[in-house]
Amino acid sequence: MVVARSLTIPNPLVLLPKKDLSRLVQHLMQRYTVVGPVAKGGEHAFSAITDPAQLTLDYVSSLLPPKKVLHQPFEVLFSFHQEQGVLEEREPARGQVLFGVHPCDVHAIEILDKAYGHEYPDPYYVNRRQNTLIVAANCTKVGDNCFCQSMGTGPDLQKGYDLLLTDLGSQILVEIGSPAGEDLLQQVPLQPAPRVMLVEKEKRLDEARRKFKKRLNTSGLKELLEDNFRHPIWDELRQDCLACGSCTMVCPTCFCYNVVDKLDLNLKSGQRQREWDSCMLLEYAQVAMGHNFRKDRDARIKQRIYHKLAYYEPQFGTLGCVGCGRCIGTCVKHIDITDIMARLGGE
Amino acid sequence: MTDKPRVAIYKMSSCAGCQLEFLNLEPVLLDVVGAVELSYFVMARRQNAPGPYDIGFVEGAITCGEEIEKLKRARQECRVLVALGSCACFGGLPSIKNWIPERVVESRVYQNLEVIESTKAYGIDEYVKVDAYLKGCPVDKGELVEFIKGALLGISPHLRPHSVCVECKLRENVCLFVSQGEPCLGAVTTAGCGALCPSRGKVCDGCRGPANDANAESLARSFTEYGLHKSDVIRKFRKFAGLTPEFSKGAEAV
Repeated sequence: MVVARSLTIPNPLVLLPKKDLSRLVQHLMQRYTVVGPVAKGGEHAFSAITDPAQLTLDYVSSLLPPKKVLHQPFEVLFSFHQEQGVLEEREPARGQVLFGVHPCDVHAIEILDKAYGHEYPDPYYVNRRQNTLIVAANCTKVGDNCFCQSMGTGPDLQKGYDLLLTDLGSQILVEIGSPAGEDLLQQVPLQPAPRVMLVEKEKRLDEARRKFKKRLNTSGLKELLEDNFRHPIWDELRQDCLACGSCTMVCPTCFCYNVVDKLDLNLKSGQRQREWDSCMLLEYAQVAMGHNFRKDRDARIKQRIYHKLAYYEPQFGTLGCVGCGRCIGTCVKHIDITDIMARLGGE
Repeated sequence: MTDKPRVAIYKMSSCAGCQLEFLNLEPVLLDVVGAVELSYFVMARRQNAPGPYDIGFVEGAITCGEEIEKLKRARQECRVLVALGSCACFGGLPSIKNWIPERVVESRVYQNLEVIESTKAYGIDEYVKVDAYLKGCPVDKGELVEFIKGALLGISPHLRPHSVCVECKLRENVCLFVSQGEPCLGAVTTAGCGALCPSRGKVCDGCRGPANDANAESLARSFTEYGLHKSDVIRKFRKFAGLTPEFSKGAEAV
């Protein structure tokens, strides 16, 4: 898949004066739809920008993960008509650049690539993914709910990007991760960066590494969860959890969706649509004749935690949580996956 | 006469806002009229045809003996009976009076109590069998059309059973509760409105009643932690759906 781009240049580095960043973005906007973090009511949301000044690259986290532009919250798959059959509606292939994506979210996209791109490729996802370039940004700021450091997904990124930015104050260190990334830098005057800049980068990242407030011990997770299927914490969570589904709606690695046919009133034509679904919702595991495999709230809470931390690995070779902390921040009840695991681990 | 399904719309104790939503379907109203015969619709028709009807939509709560009789006749006339809007579903706004003695409530509104014989305000399933519920104050037009299509096809319509939070997140709204500390009922309220109020910066008032796994007791505890007085928590849960088992637990949790 697209993520497996080969590198022709050994880790090339360039320096971009911060004042020239908008020039780079302006240049990208001529060829691509640029989607990046934009301020929204005190939070941030990945949005298609019309002006480089809209980008707020000092953001900590976004409301929804950038996943939303690859696997959209709502999506029309195709139209159908009784006489004409299925009418495919593929979107035009204008490329897009995901700009300022944090390492946790890049890792999450790599997980989605495995879920949607490998065994049973999802044409809608794959089509968008192949037309998407990733300009990632290492984290020099750490949010209260972040624990990517524990998950090995941040605050810095090693792969999975076309370009990687690190804020060094007045300048931005740009690392090129692919030929396509190198191509993005054409027509922008850049200085080759001396290797010593990597030392400066490490200094900034080390500062970030010291700021993490949350951690999750990932050793022996599968065994820990298997041994604690009947732990009293699940019943406490059953009483606490509102079953609202927010934790899964904001998760960058959740990939479940529901498919609904929306008929027109003539009952002859309509659209097949899909939208994000969630295992935290009661109706998710309901089958024909009304039986529900996960009727109890604690069963659904367990499914969410076990899927991310125990069931993903055998299937995808990686944990299903990237430590972005969105599920913690969105929870009215402050239910915290790091607290749950610490308690199970006897901490 | 046509072979289109015959529809009747009944009004009980209500503001008429839900049946008005039929007329507010304006962009698709002609398609609706093409698909069903609106045989009995006093708000919109000068002449109304007698039953029997295929589908009856009942708007409003039941608040007096006269309405109980009218409702029972409606049940007999209609093959499918639908509760249209939150008042018909579970009492709605009129049900706020249910926790005050009947005579006290009556005297707040009416001068001459001799002719007033009100009862507690209930949803219509207190008295008759109900085949479908369309929640909301008012009902959601999209759900109304979805239901009509389902009825025409003889299939269950796709109505969202989960919380408002899901639709709020799908729209990427800033959460009024966790970001601004405003006590929102969205986490325990049935979606289907498209998170209408939170999308406009106003907390969910719970007009659509409890979601399918509403944990109102837990939310009530959070309300008090966020500084709401016990009486405010009670008012929140009893504003539209205080008669439902789920929201009554919320009102009684603190």
